[in-house]
Amino acid sequence: MSIDERRLAELMEESNDLHVDAMRGIHESIPMLTEIREERRKDGVDTDEIERFNEGRRKALKTMGVGAGGIAARGALYGSLGSIFTGLLASPAHADKNLDIQILQTASSLERLAINTYNAAVSMNLGGIGDVTGTAGMVIKKFIETTVMQHDEHRKGFVAQTTALGGKPQDVPNRKFQAVVDKAVPTLKGPLDVVDLAASLETVAGDTYLVNLSLFEDTKSKEIMASVMGVETQHLATLRAVKALLEAGAPELIKIPIGADLAKLPAVAGSVAFPNAFHQIMDPELIAQPDTGDVK
Amino acid sequence: MTDTVNDRELDSSVPAKAGFGRRQFLVGGGVAAAAAFLLSACGDDEDDASTGGQTDTTAAAGGVDDAKIAEVAAGLEVLAVSTYQGALDAAEANKLGAVPPAVGAYITTALSHHKEHLAAWNGVLKSAGKAEVTQPNATLKPTVDTAFAAAKDVADVAKLALMLEDIAAQTYLKAIPLLKSKAAIRTAGEIQIVDQQHAAILLYALGMYPVPEVFQKTDKAAF
Repeated sequence: MSIDERRLAELMEESNDLHVDAMRGIHESIPMLTEIREERRKDGVDTDEIERFNEGRRKALKTMGVGAGGIAARGALYGSLGSIFTGLLASPAHADKNLDIQILQTASSLERLAINTYNAAVSMNLGGIGDVTGTAGMVIKKFIETTVMQHDEHRKGFVAQTTALGGKPQDVPNRKFQAVVDKAVPTLKGPLDVVDLAASLETVAGDTYLVNLSLFEDTKSKEIMASVMGVETQHLATLRAVKALLEAGAPELIKIPIGADLAKLPAVAGSVAFPNAFHQIMDPELIAQPDTGDVK
Repeated sequence: MTDTVNDRELDSSVPAKAGFGRRQFLVGGGVAAAAAFLLSACGDDEDDASTGGQTDTTAAAGGVDDAKIAEVAAGLEVLAVSTYQGALDAAEANKLGAVPPAVGAYITTALSHHKEHLAAWNGVLKSAGKAEVTQPNATLKPTVDTAFAAAKDVADVAKLALMLEDIAAQTYLKAIPLLKSKAAIRTAGEIQIVDQQHAAILLYALGMYPVPEVFQKTDKAAF
């Protein structure tokens, strides 16, 4: 069975066109943002902002279950990587930076980490991901290439917004989660482990951005982050579906377009990508606090 | 796959926005314009163009209240629930031909999700002392009804569902910067995510790339 490369290329082209259009929209908004920057620069340190984050995090920890439910769920979330993602103690945001800028810099750092990790998966053949043959191998490779491109555009968007608000651009991987990835890489034994790692990184990004929506003061930053969040969580949905098909022993169904083989997809493929009616943060420790990726 | 329901036609048939495009919204004082539109969408004035033109900064400063956004959201959810319920009924009556197991599971799951979303927004309205929304978005309903009536198979229904999920997810994305309550922002974000994920799986089922955009857009938003 061979992949419809021409159709896939067309789809990629369409995706690229959408991306150019979207970036144009963001760039058009930057001049307006520079005006905001000048105002924000005068503001100095806002201790209320710091308290906003720290209070928000305390509530998250309390309501989302660092207690029994949260810990119990964690093991099931990320397969064999679960233990590596545990035990990450959060530290509060520092009262020496504009919180919006910190959040944007940390978002940039998450995007950089995702880019580096996806690239490493290919260049280092992590978990033998490059050895997946047939249609599935080609689709996974295309997915990684496209996802890297999308994350890089997200990074650029966050960097542009950081600069517009008067902050320094961040291009270093997130400190907290780089350590997690470094610890996870030697444990990757197969493609499923790589998919788990990628899903974990997309979860970190999506959950972090969701929490941040309530923390931002700057409206444009909120718009951009919500827009990116909607894409990261589609990456996550795709990875969940891919994982389900790999676990079902049906890698041949990882194909685009699926065509008549839609009828062969197991029922779980129609529901596994969205396990809850409302996206749930299963582990608050997988949220990247603003001081884990800010420019020191 | 039949072409009974053409997604491009569906896209173009979605009612035009209130006299300003996405770019104008982003660049040209869009928060104020959208706030005014939301106020009008909830019963004041149907003249979209004039609404946009009459907007001033007072609207943004005073703000549209979260209940107005909840009403718009609930109207979309009613439409989604009725459409998915119709699809489920049609599938069970063998009116859509063979229904793949994954598609059946999707319809059942998405239906339950949208019921919960509707309940959440009606909960917001109830707590604000407002009446619950039980009627579908009146602007979109004729388009959806026409498309549903023409649907002959699961592909047609999937295209219609994709349109609804896109509209819903983009509406939530557009609403997030306007909402004031942190709880409402969180709810909108959680639903935006799930609707985007619904869309990703529908795209895959329809033979398309599941993550087609670099940045989620708002050009199909319901306001």
